[in-house]
Amino acid sequence: MTAQTAAQPAVSFAPLLEKKFGGAIRPEPGPKSDIPTVGCDAATLKDLALFLRDDPNAKFDLLLDVVSIDRSRLPAAMRPRDGHRFGLSYLLYSTRHNQHLRVRVGVPEADPKVPTLVDTWPAANWFEREAWDLMGVTFEGHPNLRRLLTHNGFVGHPLRKDYEASQRWLCTEEDLLKTELAARTEVEEDIFETMTLNFGPSHPATHGTLRCVFRVDGEKIVAAESECGYLHRNFEKMAEEHTFTQVIPYTDRLNYCSPMINGNGYARTIEQMLGIEVPPRARAVRSILAEFSRIMDHMVCVGTNLVDLGALTNFWYAYQAREQIYSLLEACCGARLTSSYARIGGLSNDVPANFADWCRTLCREIEDELKEIDGLITKNRIAHKRMRGTGYISKADAIAYGFTGPCLRASGVGYDVRKDAPYDFYDEVDFDVPVADGGDNFARYLVRMEEMRQSIRIIEQLVKKLPGGPIVSDDYRVVLPPKEMVYNEMEGLIYHFKVVFEGIKVPPGEIYSFTEGGNGELGYSLVSDGSGRPYRLKVRPPCFPLFAAFEKMVIGGMVSDAVATLGTLNIIAGELDR
Amino acid sequence: MAARVVNVSAPEQTFLEKIYLIEVAKGMIRTLGHFFRNAPRTLLHEVPVIGKKLVAKLGIPTIHYPEQKRDYSDRFRGRHILKKRDDGTLKCVACYMCQTACPADCIHIEAGEHPNLAYEKHPVVFEIDLLRCVMCGFCVDACPKDAIWMTRDYELSFFTRQSAIYGIPELTEKPSDTASDGPGYGYRPYYGQSPMKKAGEFQPSGLALLPVLDLRAKAINRMPPPPQAPKPAPAQAAKPAA
Repeated sequence: MTAQTAAQPAVSFAPLLEKKFGGAIRPEPGPKSDIPTVGCDAATLKDLALFLRDDPNAKFDLLLDVVSIDRSRLPAAMRPRDGHRFGLSYLLYSTRHNQHLRVRVGVPEADPKVPTLVDTWPAANWFEREAWDLMGVTFEGHPNLRRLLTHNGFVGHPLRKDYEASQRWLCTEEDLLKTELAARTEVEEDIFETMTLNFGPSHPATHGTLRCVFRVDGEKIVAAESECGYLHRNFEKMAEEHTFTQVIPYTDRLNYCSPMINGNGYARTIEQMLGIEVPPRARAVRSILAEFSRIMDHMVCVGTNLVDLGALTNFWYAYQAREQIYSLLEACCGARLTSSYARIGGLSNDVPANFADWCRTLCREIEDELKEIDGLITKNRIAHKRMRGTGYISKADAIAYGFTGPCLRASGVGYDVRKDAPYDFYDEVDFDVPVADGGDNFARYLVRMEEMRQSIRIIEQLVKKLPGGPIVSDDYRVVLPPKEMVYNEMEGLIYHFKVVFEGIKVPPGEIYSFTEGGNGELGYSLVSDGSGRPYRLKVRPPCFPLFAAFEKMVIGGMVSDAVATLGTLNIIAGELDR
Repeated sequence: MAARVVNVSAPEQTFLEKIYLIEVAKGMIRTLGHFFRNAPRTLLHEVPVIGKKLVAKLGIPTIHYPEQKRDYSDRFRGRHILKKRDDGTLKCVACYMCQTACPADCIHIEAGEHPNLAYEKHPVVFEIDLLRCVMCGFCVDACPKDAIWMTRDYELSFFTRQSAIYGIPELTEKPSDTASDGPGYGYRPYYGQSPMKKAGEFQPSGLALLPVLDLRAKAINRMPPPPQAPKPAPAQAAKPAA
């Protein structure tokens, strides 16, 4: 178990690595709460990847993320020994051994080339495209190395440290917007047999600015290509320009269906890095509100998905529950959607006095709404015809494409961060992880419905044992001191001044911290250089691999099935595009 | 690892469910049930005087905006206000804390010397660009002088971009903000009694044994100037510059 608070577990297969690769592989020590890391060279990367994926002692079958970093502005003490400007970190997870691993590769500036790992993990496809787009690292042998988050008229690689963030690049040429598929169709011969259909980016059924180009033969999709980036605002570059506290409002805009979870995950990352203790009350409230956010997220997913299938009524039932949860969130933090409730070290305010009763009432109401949706849909013949067997992805494919969260669990893998690496209060409550074997749209619907019921269970247990005490840590190097101190005491004012003007001084190092978001594993990779701002902050958005696999999942189905599939995958553009 | 997993699988349909007609009727009963429960309550809204109160009590989630408005908590983060001292001058001392804490760079301050020398420094320009503002409340948290609060006013719409930039005249707290039909206070640094000590309440710090510090304590307690400061309100002095 990678209990996130325990000491960094040793790589159990290290002797094997040593034997097979000799000096080319080196374990790299990191902070105690970080995941284990091994470093290698670009030449051995491909062999190492194959070994890690296939060796029964390693079995890292899930590629979580590819993190690129420009180390040119790092302080001298943190520079890697190889002296290369760029670095890549492959974050891996083993579903068999429940273990995380980071593989770190240095990339020289003069010739920024690394062999592609698309053959080993198909999930690497989009992650590598993103790394090329934003950091300018070339992946040799990549089948489709084009810009992903920025448009084709963009000049430069924005996450490089020498890129000026205030530059603007307008996309004025129509041709630059064409996807590869759309451009290819024009020259191919069977143009009279099939036609190209543009789905999105502002289509009512995409629920966000997602775009997909289908090539259809009648109603059947024969080829598809999905594209993202229409909502891209480079959260990661913005984070580098702000202090650690100032990033919190930005995290709300990642997955805007469950903003609390993002803020909690971010605050957790910084807290782990700082090694500060969060008061138990803050942890419990965070878990409660995160579970409510998960319910909201699933309600939006199920409700809107059923609207796309023609069942409008459920949408109102789902949104009624969501509205009530928003009111609770507003009473806690002051805004319905853009909560900014988490602070590093706790939460901004204590919860209202009637919080526990309010939560219980809400749980009853949500249960009622769930029963209504359940009664209308779960045995409904139309719903079965539309959702069973469509949008199918097998267990092996789901793992290979980097699925996490409800979509992975609907394909039969019971991986849930709340269970497998418990954080906050999740190890003290009793709940089940729903798993379905179907792998189709209906399985994903069932898993989400069951997860909402489990969330209610968690909330009820947590409300019962809601601890008292402070809501925020009293470490005034991190947390703003209480106002009595600021107004009346010199020391309080000094701490206040230091935190506001200089930001929180996070010790240098690298960490990967992960929580269970609404759509799967929400990870933050942070590299700190000891200043008040993040040196590099990479989000692992759970939607990203889901949407990357979407183009494979819809081929062979109808256009209307593609709409249903997009709905059950629950792609949130704010998180996908960052 | 196996015990914690609950397997959900698609339910098989019985023959009755497959012929569908009965299920259609059951579904209609369910949705019509909602309709007949909600329709009378919604119509109540049209009843004058008591109608709106009844609707609020019965808990209809739909709100007839703008006739009916949602009640927000007193933590709601809406339009900002600048608080005033008892003598009508702004509490703000132009320390740039809120401008620094702002993640959206929407606050612009220019400091100047206060006409009343006892106050030393005040903002000559204090502008908030509400089109940039993300309403996170960090400025309220950052203020060391209790000078900026938020209201529950969320109806912020403008005809021009320029009019969305609020200066000192628009931001200064007005009686209409706290009137009975006004938005009322929202997010603020404290609830209830202000923790800020008044003149005469300051305690000297731990080294009070030294007589020199006793003098210092006396000096601190003299700091807030007497409220009978001459009338030329600095709000007026600031106006032409704003």
